[in-house]
Amino acid sequence: MTASLPSTTPVEKSVSTIRTVPRFSVGQRWEHSIVLISIVLLLLTGLPQKYRATTWSQQILTTPDRLYAIQNIHRIAAVVLTLLVLYHLGHTLYLLSKRHLSGNMLPSLQDIRDAFQMGRYLLFLTNRKPKFGKYNFEQKFTYWFLFFSIGIMVVSGFILWFPIAITRILPGEIIPSAKLAHSTEAIVTLVFIVIWHFYHVHLERLNLSIFTGWLNEKDARTYHPLEFERLTGEPSEPRQTGDDH
Amino acid sequence: MVHRRTLFLGAFLIIMLAFLASVAGALAGPQAQSDTSQPTPTPDPRLSISDEVCLGCHGQPGPSMVLENGDVLDLYVPQQDYNASVHGSMGYACVQCHRQIGNYPHAPFQAKDLRDVSLQLYQACQGCHQEQYALAQDSVHSAAMSQGKREAAVCTDCHSAHSVRRLNQPGTLEMLPEARVWVPLTCSKCHNAIFIKYKDSVHGSALIGDGNPDVPTCIDCHGVHNIENPTTAAFRLRSPEICAKCHTDEAKMAKYGISTQVLNTYVADFHGTTVTLFEKMTPDAETNKPVCYDCHGIHDIQRVDDPAKGLEVRENLLGRCQRCHPGATANFSSAWLSHYIPSPEKNPIVYYVNLFYKFFIPTVLGGMAVLVALDLNKSAGGRVRKLLRKAIPEKGTEVVASEESVQTGAPEGVDLEADQPGVRPEQSDQAQDMESPQADEISASKEDEAETKTPPQPLTDEADTNPDQEASHD
Repeated sequence: MTASLPSTTPVEKSVSTIRTVPRFSVGQRWEHSIVLISIVLLLLTGLPQKYRATTWSQQILTTPDRLYAIQNIHRIAAVVLTLLVLYHLGHTLYLLSKRHLSGNMLPSLQDIRDAFQMGRYLLFLTNRKPKFGKYNFEQKFTYWFLFFSIGIMVVSGFILWFPIAITRILPGEIIPSAKLAHSTEAIVTLVFIVIWHFYHVHLERLNLSIFTGWLNEKDARTYHPLEFERLTGEPSEPRQTGDDH
Repeated sequence: MVHRRTLFLGAFLIIMLAFLASVAGALAGPQAQSDTSQPTPTPDPRLSISDEVCLGCHGQPGPSMVLENGDVLDLYVPQQDYNASVHGSMGYACVQCHRQIGNYPHAPFQAKDLRDVSLQLYQACQGCHQEQYALAQDSVHSAAMSQGKREAAVCTDCHSAHSVRRLNQPGTLEMLPEARVWVPLTCSKCHNAIFIKYKDSVHGSALIGDGNPDVPTCIDCHGVHNIENPTTAAFRLRSPEICAKCHTDEAKMAKYGISTQVLNTYVADFHGTTVTLFEKMTPDAETNKPVCYDCHGIHDIQRVDDPAKGLEVRENLLGRCQRCHPGATANFSSAWLSHYIPSPEKNPIVYYVNLFYKFFIPTVLGGMAVLVALDLNKSAGGRVRKLLRKAIPEKGTEVVASEESVQTGAPEGVDLEADQPGVRPEQSDQAQDMESPQADEISASKEDEAETKTPPQPLTDEADTNPDQEASHD
């Protein structure tokens, strides 16, 4: 985390150029920004509705008109997020049909081994961190957790939005179930983002590559050595490999 | 001269006397008039005019009075009625209410019509019943009166004038059981259409048929003297509390096997949550969100298993849903959990979704919290260990310890162990365990070490499959 090349002096630092490796495409960065904005809006408008019994919420939802306005904002943000999910799925299917889909976000057995290794590392049972590719098991977990969270939110949200249409096909009990799932999953998602996602991209290290699109060389070597090797053809640990070879 | 002088004096005296007489006459005249038009109130009428005096005339049929519009006011007061009344039985005298009447001949009394008589005379009630009178001023009846609806109820319309009945226990002021039965009949004098609905309802039939003291009469919901307008938005938003007064009363509901969760479950669902919120924040907000009576009915409330109206009958409930949700089909009505708390028997889907989250949340979020904590501990702990090693070098292992401290302090991911890029972590880990056991002796206990040695067989198998996977990624 606090890794710094031991030989760099301030002078060298001031003139050194930071090498970066590509990490996210422009499309992916846009997708992330839209997800971020819509989820923030959805939480801001959804949480007061969930916690209607609390004072802070009631100070927001003072009148019926304000409640309806907040519900409308929630629905607009929900439509944006839904369109994004559809785009994401459509884009994935398109890439799949063109055989351009890189499988690097798909969970693999290696992720389980990496997680096991990481657990040993964190418990001081080994000194070696697993070497990760483009997406480590934590990032894959983040993606898939939010993928299914958003899936649950979108599906349950639309059930709540169109109860009459839904109950033409499904039993009525699906409505309160969707309400429970929607309201609980929202909290799960929020807490997940706050303790897991924020920790990994803000606290552990400030990682803004999802906004810039690029990852600096040091982070690439440290956190995604296999991807770094794949992209640059260079070994990820110069000093180390020098000794070994 | 003398004659002249006496004559002059005599004339002067006559003029003076005449003047005095006219002044005296002028003073005496109005005095006599005021005596008849404004009889002074009797200081203590109980002592001054007994009921016998009044009943001397009013005790038998006959006396009457023609009012301005031609209405005939019957002035007969049946003595037995009055004596049976709460006032008569306690010995109150006529003149304690009829304070303006004075002795015979009475002061003139003017009234446009019969209603005007009541409206003038009921004011006497506040002489003793100030509190109730004041409450009644806040009532919907009083408001209607001030808008010119002269038929709006005043004290005597409900309580009668001379036959006022005892309604309370004298000591406890608790309402007498028989008085509860009288209430709907009293209200029905004006609100007959509602009474007809009420008397066949689950509440009304129990009251009128069995005199059941648990069921509400009109006043239990509407209040007694300060009866509120029940058609306002504010009344609507507040109404669930009225029902909840009895329906959350464990003792009362247990007798009839009725759940006391009806309010909780209502408030927990969409409609109830919104109604509760509006009631708190904007008590007079208009809303079409249903309250208890929108589904259960207002005065014609029936048992939930009543075949015609009971909401346990799905068609009846659906009919209620469709009032606001016109397109609703049969399934829609079961979106409302009918006040049941989800359980495996009732509303299992909701129950199991809830159960799922009860396990899912602690598992996932707890797991994540543990991982983050471990990660923080690792990054902080590495430094702590390094400091500890430096501060307390263990004898004999000093060299190894310092080596270890270099390792833990090293940049993460940059492994100091011989670890070729192509070699899978597990293989190299095994190699590390064999090559430098001293390092592990310090970083991990012997059991842990044993543990790390047991899994290599399956893990290396997995590792063998890895290069293929890696190739597919590339």
